[in-house]
Amino acid sequence: MRRTARDGASVTGIGLVTPLGDTAGFLAAAWEGRSGVRRPPDGHPVAGLLDAAGIAPDIDPSTVLPKTEARRVDRFVVLAMSAADAALRDAGIAIGQDADPARTAVVLANSFGGLTMFEGEAVARHRQGRTAVTPYLLAGMLPNMATARIAIRHGVRGFTSTISTACASGGYAVAEALRLVREGVADVVVCGGADAPLLPTVATTFSNARALASGWTDPAEASRPFDRRRNGFVLGEGAGVLVVERRAHATARGRPGYADVIGWGVATDAYHPTAPLPDGAGAAESMRRALADAGIAPADVDYVNAHATGTKLGDAAEARALRAVFGGHAPAVSSIKGATGHLLAAAGAVEAAATALALRHGMLPPTHNLDDPDPECDLDHVRKAARPVAARTALSTSFAFGGHNACLVLATHPGGP
Amino acid sequence: MSDVVAFTIEALRQMNFDVDDADSGTVFGPAGVDLDSLAVAELALRVEDAYGVKFGEEDMERFTVMTLGEFAVEVDARLRLVDGAPA
Repeated sequence: MRRTARDGASVTGIGLVTPLGDTAGFLAAAWEGRSGVRRPPDGHPVAGLLDAAGIAPDIDPSTVLPKTEARRVDRFVVLAMSAADAALRDAGIAIGQDADPARTAVVLANSFGGLTMFEGEAVARHRQGRTAVTPYLLAGMLPNMATARIAIRHGVRGFTSTISTACASGGYAVAEALRLVREGVADVVVCGGADAPLLPTVATTFSNARALASGWTDPAEASRPFDRRRNGFVLGEGAGVLVVERRAHATARGRPGYADVIGWGVATDAYHPTAPLPDGAGAAESMRRALADAGIAPADVDYVNAHATGTKLGDAAEARALRAVFGGHAPAVSSIKGATGHLLAAAGAVEAAATALALRHGMLPPTHNLDDPDPECDLDHVRKAARPVAARTALSTSFAFGGHNACLVLATHPGGP
Repeated sequence: MSDVVAFTIEALRQMNFDVDDADSGTVFGPAGVDLDSLAVAELALRVEDAYGVKFGEEDMERFTVMTLGEFAVEVDARLRLVDGAPA
């Protein structure tokens, strides 16, 4: 089916819960190059286990849940629900008034499910036996519970699903939203990702795998995508939720939104459970497919919001993929993970939001800590300070353990925002 | 107020249910504290843990239509069974 303006999709709402705070805090800090990465304070579950972490604000569960359930739901669900509330509020949508419940969808991603809650219950059972295990565990930790509880809270009766493609999950969720709008399934899609992995067992396995940045006296310096001295990623937590809305639906409500989502592309490495294809071929293929889906050429892309997490192999592979796709045309590139750490399943959604905000404000966020760009990662880096560019088209990339690669193309409205 | 009723009210308070006006005549169902099935299961666990009694799956549905006082009588009866059981 040939696409028309009628089934285009716009980002009309953004809700973030990140180590840099909510959307306003994120916009201020990430663009000004301030870091949200810090040493876990005494009393935090990963204090003493991690030197640096991207810790999201505490959210009182009773702000999003009935008080009888508030203490029986995993943090990833609470983060997702809080971000969804903020995104719908930002979009000015009350389901049932501004959107048909049957034509509203929820697609929330996560990588871990409620492991914080599970670890607590496993320890309690080991110490105290059978009666210590709450009957609420499944209702609090199953991976689908972010999606389900957002649907319950807002009365969403249309398509609902949960995606789990590790660190690319958030990108997949936004891609799924675009597909649902194009296929005529939904007018409004609440989409994004959330993860709360800052618990002892998860912190320890990442650490034992030597995947994390280490040896940094100042935790704010630990996350350094594309930098010559990068030595791993910084584990973070958070949630990013976007309201992706059929453009005609948004226009009828008088809400032009931040930007349009105009293309998606997915490709799979079929290579290794954790390592990317060294030449970045899977990543490159997902970029090409996204551009083809959007009907644009590489030369049309003004900005790339990179997945780059700060690992030696991953950043170099992504840089190779970008050079392979864009050739002589070098779009501006930055990764916000330098300021936030890696928010795992939330990352792709938070970064799609960052891309939409960059387009909306004509200002590209810098890569924090990119003091000395690695020659292996030779790109047109936005670093040191935000760069004012009236970018019209941008690519947001997300790659994951498992070899999942997802890219999104976002664009300003043809007639301006 | 029986010990079991007082224990039950305190357990429900810890589970964040509104029990300020609850007494032995209050029902567990929608007209009273309004427990769902998971809440009944958690309450049963707390009582099992505190009093050393055991509840079966078939008990859960019966509890939902009881008052707190009727529940206490049930627990007391089982306690006597536990106490009277051969060691």
